[in-house]
This record gives sequence, structure tokens and C-alpha cells, in this order.
Amino acid sequence: MLEIRSARKVFYRGQPDEKIALNDLSLTLPTGNFAIVIGSNGAGKSSMLNAISGALMLDSGKILINGDDVTSMPVHKRASRVARVFQDPMKGTAASMTVAENMLLAELRGKKLGFSRGLNAKRLASYRERLSALNLGLENRLETRVELLSGGQRQSLSLIMATCDQPDLLLLDEHTAALDPRTADIVMQATVRAVEAFNLTTLMVTHNMQHAVDFGHSVVMLDAGRTRLEIIGAEKAEVTIPKLIGHFGLKTDRMLLAS
Amino acid sequence: MDTVYTVISNFIALVPVTLAQSLILSFIVLGIMLPFRMLNFPDLTSEGAFPLGGCVCALSLAGGAPGWLAILAAMAAGFLAGSCTAFVHLRFRIHTLLAGILMMTMLYSINLRLMGKSNLSVYGTPTIFDGVPFAEPGFPVSKIVVAGLLGLAVYCLLNLYFRTERGTAMRAVGSNPDMAEAQGISIWAATIGGVGLAGAFSATSGALMVQSQGFADVNMGIGTLINGLAALMIGEAIVGKQTLRRQLAAPFVGAIVYYQLVSLCLAAGMPPTDLKLATGLFVLAMLALPTLKRARGPMPARETIRE
Repeated sequence: MLEIRSARKVFYRGQPDEKIALNDLSLTLPTGNFAIVIGSNGAGKSSMLNAISGALMLDSGKILINGDDVTSMPVHKRASRVARVFQDPMKGTAASMTVAENMLLAELRGKKLGFSRGLNAKRLASYRERLSALNLGLENRLETRVELLSGGQRQSLSLIMATCDQPDLLLLDEHTAALDPRTADIVMQATVRAVEAFNLTTLMVTHNMQHAVDFGHSVVMLDAGRTRLEIIGAEKAEVTIPKLIGHFGLKTDRMLLAS
Repeated sequence: MDTVYTVISNFIALVPVTLAQSLILSFIVLGIMLPFRMLNFPDLTSEGAFPLGGCVCALSLAGGAPGWLAILAAMAAGFLAGSCTAFVHLRFRIHTLLAGILMMTMLYSINLRLMGKSNLSVYGTPTIFDGVPFAEPGFPVSKIVVAGLLGLAVYCLLNLYFRTERGTAMRAVGSNPDMAEAQGISIWAATIGGVGLAGAFSATSGALMVQSQGFADVNMGIGTLINGLAALMIGEAIVGKQTLRRQLAAPFVGAIVYYQLVSLCLAAGMPPTDLKLATGLFVLAMLALPTLKRARGPMPARETIRE
């Protein structure tokens, strides 16, 4: 369960280009819920994910994961609870290290590290098994350095890495946006499989309205740093692309009026 | 024909001495490689950590400490110097190179303070090279054996360490700091530990050098960085850096080959004063090579260096 309580973050405070990234944003995501986050550019989607993962410290407000206050924890302390897949396939993997080493780092996420051998036979076997579920042939390339993989393969690997030890919270930051349609589809299917299999509490940011309609239990729309709209339950089941885009339209109209 | 013969005989006569020297200096090449390749942290501290290790070692020897203890003391001092550089970079967000320059400049004064004068002779005190059986003390063979065995042990230990959970985590910090942090690895711990370790190796090199030559000098560090970098480039060109084993072997192979090359140049009559220019040009060429290749091919994936 994720709770964001009136989170506030202002960039360049007191300067002419002051920007309110999060404006008393509050959001509750029950355990096992898969929420889709939409919103136009600059609405605060990335700031929200950064605040949850710890990359961005809040000016005020609280963030709780499964009831624990993580507001002042740095990124590496939150890692045992939060896993994240970035839009950029390069960001979520260590390029100069092998597929197996990346899997190892993911398996050790947030755990106490020791001086025992990292890649033992047992671990290698389990990585081979997990990667074979993707049907990308990655299971035979455990010793390949990740920089030699394609963007889609890297992103699939990031996803497997993020979901392998069932994090309390999974953050997906437009993770299929940089991929070609076919690969995006593979990665999205793998995402849904993992989320459903482990019943993961998930926040997925997307600009793809079809994804917002097809997947998830709820849709959250952000606007100017706060939640503008939450579509849940039966309403979510009936939502269509025109309806969603209509909400974007409303916002544009208001912006026109304001200017 | 006669000159060629003289050059070769001069060179061959120098091979054992040069080998001993290169094995001692291979530790500083290791101290340059570790932050540079494993942590993506180009570090200049070694130029100050090398004489620091020498000074601490000389002081310990003069104070009656046995050779191995003097080396341990030097390592501790070197570790401290390296971790200070890492701290300055992490805490104040100062560029890695500038942090290294600051540390190396300050270390010069510290080294002078430590010794109280610009050089200190410890000739005749027992050294770590004395313990080799069947070898006369002071003769290159004992230095080759001791420094070689020490290098082999360090190589094996590092090879094991970088495959452990902790070692893998440290390499991840060099490969992709953001990703490493997101996996729960502390950038601070890995960077301070890694750069500190590198400083300890540079200091070890200085300490061995002092025990080998019988005196410490505050200026003994001048030029060691560029020599070490050149040696590293040669080593990587010979054994490669595709795997961990090769990357770790590169400093040792590079040091051995580089100092033999220098010895050959000197034997061939190159003025010693030109050595730095030649070394600098060589390092420049090695660093420029990828850019020259790129002009004729597709852009390779670029790895950014930490700032």
C-alpha cells in the first residue's frame, strides 16, 4: 500500500522561473492495485515517481509504503521496497556488466551484501529459468554484456529485474515508450504477467491511452502537480480513449481561458 | 652493427633491475586502474599517495618497524588519502579530477611535514626483501620474487573480491550509479572504499620503492601518474579489458612491458629528459585512438565519466 499525503515540491523557489512540481498531491494506492497514471507533459508524473523512489526529496508532505514513513530515506534505503523501470532502457541496467551480473544486482536489491561468491550455480540456473519466460533468448546470453543487447531486450531485462523479488511497490515510468510497437507489446505482456502473478502494487505512467484503457484497476490523471481525476471500479471498466482524451481537452480549454 | 649490439647488450643487462622496478610500480598502475575502470572515477590522488606511502614507510623503518609493518602503515595512510578524495567529490560535488589535484597538492605539504625534511635515508634497515632464501639481500632477484608474489596475491584476491556480492555491487556503481543506487547500493560506501583501496595500492608501491632504493623523497611521486597511465594503456592493449580477469591483469602486464620499453629507449640513447614528452605523447595517442577510429565508423555507445 502506497500513501502520498499532501506532497509538495517547488523548483527554483523565489526565482522568476519558479515551478510547482507537486502541489499538495495526495494519492492512495491499496495493496495489489495496478494504477495507470496519465497527464500532459509537466503535470508532475515524473516528479511523483521520483519522490516515491527517493530521487526527489519533498519540501513538505509524507510518503508511506506499507505504513512505513519513507519520506526522508535516500534512494538506496528505499530500494528494498521500491523497484523501478525507467523509460530509457540504458538507465535500468549496468551496461558494462553481464546479463547474469545485472540479475544478481536485482536479486540483491536492498539486501545485506556479503563476501560470498555472487554468481553461483544455483543462482545462474534460476536466472536462466526466469529469463526463458520472456522468449527472447536471453537465457542463453547470461555472459553477454548488457550494452550488446537491443533496447527491447534491455528493457525486458529491466522488467524481469524489477519484478524478480516481488517489491512492495513497482514503478513503471513510460517503460514501453522508447520501444518499437512489437517489442513494446512483448514488454507490456510480460509486465501484466508479472504484476498479475505476484499481485504487485504498481504505478504505471504512460502516454499511451490504449494502455490506460486496457490495463490496470484504476486511472489517475495528474494536472499541475495534483490529482485531477481518479477513475476506479466499474467506471474504469467502461472508460474509452475518447473519454480520457476529453479530460485532457478540458484542461487545455482551461489553460486557454487562463491565458 | 656495433651500436645495435651495444644497445641490446645494455638493454639486456638492465632487464632484471627494470623487472624489479616494474613489479614494484605495478601497484601504482593498479591504483590508477581501480578507480578509473572499476568506478569510472578518474583519480589523480596516486601521484600524492605514492610519496605518502614512501614517507610513512621510511618513518616507520626509521622508527624500527619491520618491513611488512611499514608497508601496512603506508597502506593505511594511502587508504585515508584516497577516501578523502572520494569524500571531497561526493560531499562537495567537486569534479573527480579536481578533487584528486587538490588532494595530491595538499599531500605534498603533508609529506614534507611528516618527514620534516625533503628526503630521508633508511639505507641498511631491514626490509621486506631480506627474507628471500638463496638470494643476496639488495640483489634484484629478491625484489622480483617478493614484489612478484605480492602482486600475484593481490591479483588473485581482487579477482575473488570483484566476484563477491560486494565486489559486484562496487562495479555496478562504476557502470551505472543511478541503477546501482536504485538496487540499494550505497554510492558513498562503494566510492570511498574503492578509491581508498586504490590509494592504499599506490602507497604500497611507494613503500616498496622506498625499501628497494633505501630512501624516501617528497619528489618521488612526480611523473608516476603519467607513467602509470601509459603502463595501463599498454596493458589493456595487450591483454584487453573485456573480462574482469583481463582488466585486473592489465596493470601488471602493462607495468612490466612499459618499463622494459622505457629501458630500451634509454639504452638506445634517448635523453632521459625527453622521457616525459614521449610518455605523454604515447598516452595521448592511446586515448585519441577511439576518436580516430570513430571518424571512419558508427558512433560507439558512449560511457560518460562521473563528474
